[in-house]
Amino acid sequence: MLDKISIGRYYPAHSFLHDTDPRIKTILYAVYLVAIFMIKEPLAIGILAAIVIVQLILAKVTPGILWSTVKPMIPLALFIFIINVLTIRQGDAIFSWKMITVTWYGISRAAIMSVRLIFLIVSTSVLLTLTTTPLKMSDALEKLFAPLQIIKIPVHEMSMMMSIAIRFIPTLAAETDKIMKAQQSRGANYDTGSFINKVRGYITVLIPLFVSSFRRADELAIAMDARCYRGGKGRTKLNPLKMTVRDVLTGIVFTLSAVLVVVIDLSLR
Amino acid sequence: MTDDPNRIEIKDVSFSYDISDENSTRAPRPALDGISVTIGKGSYTAFLGSNGSGKSTLAKIIDILEVPDSGRVVIFGKDAGDDDLFWDIRSQCCCVFQNPDNQIVGTMIEEDVAFGPENLGVPNPELRERVDQALKDVGLYELRHRETMALSGGQKQKLAIAGALAMRPDILILDEATAMLDPASRDDFLALVEKMRIEKGLTLITITHDMTEALRCDKLVIINKGKVAMEGSPEEIFMSEDLWQYGLKRPVKFNFAFEIAKLTGNKLTKEDLRSDEALLERLTLMLGKPGIKMPDAIPEGKKRTDDREIIMEVKGLSYSYDGNDTKAIDNIDLDIRKGEVLGIVGDSGCGKTTLISHMNAIIRPVTGDVIIHTEDGDLSCRNKKDTMKIRQNVGLVFQYPEYQLFEETVYKDILYGLKKMNVSKDEQKKLVMEAAEKVGLKERELNASPFELSGGQKRRAAMAGVLVMRPKILVLDEPASGLDPRGRQEMFAIIKGLAESGTTIILVSHNMDEAAVNCDRICLINKGKIKAVGTPEELFEKGRSEELGVQMPRITRFSDLLRSRLAEACPGITFEGRYFEPENEARVIVAAASKAGGSDAR
Repeated sequence: MLDKISIGRYYPAHSFLHDTDPRIKTILYAVYLVAIFMIKEPLAIGILAAIVIVQLILAKVTPGILWSTVKPMIPLALFIFIINVLTIRQGDAIFSWKMITVTWYGISRAAIMSVRLIFLIVSTSVLLTLTTTPLKMSDALEKLFAPLQIIKIPVHEMSMMMSIAIRFIPTLAAETDKIMKAQQSRGANYDTGSFINKVRGYITVLIPLFVSSFRRADELAIAMDARCYRGGKGRTKLNPLKMTVRDVLTGIVFTLSAVLVVVIDLSLR
Repeated sequence: MTDDPNRIEIKDVSFSYDISDENSTRAPRPALDGISVTIGKGSYTAFLGSNGSGKSTLAKIIDILEVPDSGRVVIFGKDAGDDDLFWDIRSQCCCVFQNPDNQIVGTMIEEDVAFGPENLGVPNPELRERVDQALKDVGLYELRHRETMALSGGQKQKLAIAGALAMRPDILILDEATAMLDPASRDDFLALVEKMRIEKGLTLITITHDMTEALRCDKLVIINKGKVAMEGSPEEIFMSEDLWQYGLKRPVKFNFAFEIAKLTGNKLTKEDLRSDEALLERLTLMLGKPGIKMPDAIPEGKKRTDDREIIMEVKGLSYSYDGNDTKAIDNIDLDIRKGEVLGIVGDSGCGKTTLISHMNAIIRPVTGDVIIHTEDGDLSCRNKKDTMKIRQNVGLVFQYPEYQLFEETVYKDILYGLKKMNVSKDEQKKLVMEAAEKVGLKERELNASPFELSGGQKRRAAMAGVLVMRPKILVLDEPASGLDPRGRQEMFAIIKGLAESGTTIILVSHNMDEAAVNCDRICLINKGKIKAVGTPEELFEKGRSEELGVQMPRITRFSDLLRSRLAEACPGITFEGRYFEPENEARVIVAAASKAGGSDAR
């Protein structure tokens, strides 16, 4: 059941992207985020897809793992697609019935939206979650945002919180599953009945889940205390971040390719 | 006054949790009440006591995880009240807690081990060396690049030990660290801890509800209501008749030995309890004398159940989880008879929970089926239409059921399942009261919020929430886990009451002693397959342990040693039957010795 929750999970492997400095990956992620939302032209999207495939190969991500990451988002992508098709009414109608009008323009826009969402998921996974452990990611964010400490933003604490949150995703997913089964044994029903009934059903899961999360948080805090955690001051690192020439080159190459895609896209309009 | 650098000294320490703290609701009295304890360097001490006695709080005081309201704590000559020494003391003391999941910080094994020394500011390459050494010490070095979540419960606790060892501590505190482990992982874990204690010269403090585990210690400290009730070596403590009032009892083999002494008119001494060897020798002497009085006959207990009508049939059931090649359960065939208590026994991860999840269609059978025979005809777990009927007939109580409580009051929580059924308001009230009575909850507790109850009461409330639907079959997954010995006994009394009122009980457990005492039949599961089914007497016959690949109940292991001694001392002695309650097994042994007429008979 743990396997069902694959968003945000780390994929243990040795690969080029796994070894790349997490700071570079974080910056690249920001760059690709912008690129994904800037491009509109099919050719540019195609080139971007090719780049992402190269990244997937560099991360040794198998199609199976890729699919399990993308799969949960497909309903949302479809939803976005349908909403866009129905609401965009520009262009020539190809189908019209009562309130519903479907246009080619609408379909193409809707497709781009959905494709963007998928790209977003794949990029997040391949650049960050699949190839970077939460602790490394929090290290990277801590380093990247270190300047903010000058204006009293608790960068270390925030990055620690984030990595712990990610570490507990599978634990809480398993817990949710357990509570649901227990309530189902008592007659709770999450699949059928009216919407109100379903919502009521979920309350029987959410309350115990909250209570247990607080209990876990409490116990974890004590365990961290016992291991002498006292904030970022004076902490050393088992695997300190080391930026190598290779990391920098990786950053430059992928940034340039993203810029290139955007330039191509803009020139095609 | 100079403080002894070779001792942990706790003097007149009192401590109360803040009112805002969630723990305060169940303990208005102070958690620690002027307690004084001294622990020598390099010793192995156990803190024993009932749930809520203050033993965990005391351990936290030693690691300065809580700061006492009054009193003095001196750790190896360092005063814990001295702010300058705070980190110094905390870094020399490490804790392993009960729940493995709630103490792992890292996603990767080596990251997690490094967390402690990183906090201490240990520089590389020493940091790397410490982490590697700690992982090698606990045997997880090969797995160092794996995810922490992929480990089993026992491995996670070993990881916690590695995390502690990497901090190079002097003191290691185990706060019910073995409570969630099965017997095999528990033995493995304790062996590791003891090895580390000797190799690293650790001072070891353990908090446990397992009395046999406590026998491994040099010293036991019994804590009751925030005070030391008793203190001494295990043999001194277990001589006492007062353990029950502190929620404790003797280890099974001692209960058995004291019973034999009583029946033969002898008294055991402290020296007899010092080792198994001493105890066996003394018991053999006692039983070898001529003229032992015949004990009363053993009251008729268990009846054979295999001639009764079948109420549930598990047929050719197999199941594997998504993305997993190995089968969680593999071709299980099992008949459950009306009114019996059937034990399902096996190590963690053997498929017990998967099997019982099929029994009320929480997991729908994919291969094979589960059929429930009711007065209104047969119900199949494969048939979606039968689901609600099945869940009314088969009540399933998962492990730690108290974590599923959610309503404002206990009454409403118990009622929850009934609301899905066609039951009138008056009838509802009657059924809730009936369920509450079965588990021993009182009116006052019914109107309280479930979150205000003690751990044991919460569990009963959750059980009542299943019982309220009057299930014909009740499936219980480790119903006594985490409870102190008294709590466990009370829980099994409730289960016995349910069985006597005609409910068929399926009891999942990894505690062989409890399964043997409480079940009419036991089904042993190993790696998803049924290894054997039979009465406890059949399964735990002498010498079957290896064949079945299980540990015998503790009483059987000890009694078998005694039986072979007696067979040597009194040739021709015959034992009639085998029992698992210490009192009954003692009677069998004494009866046999009485008939044999002493060791000089030859």
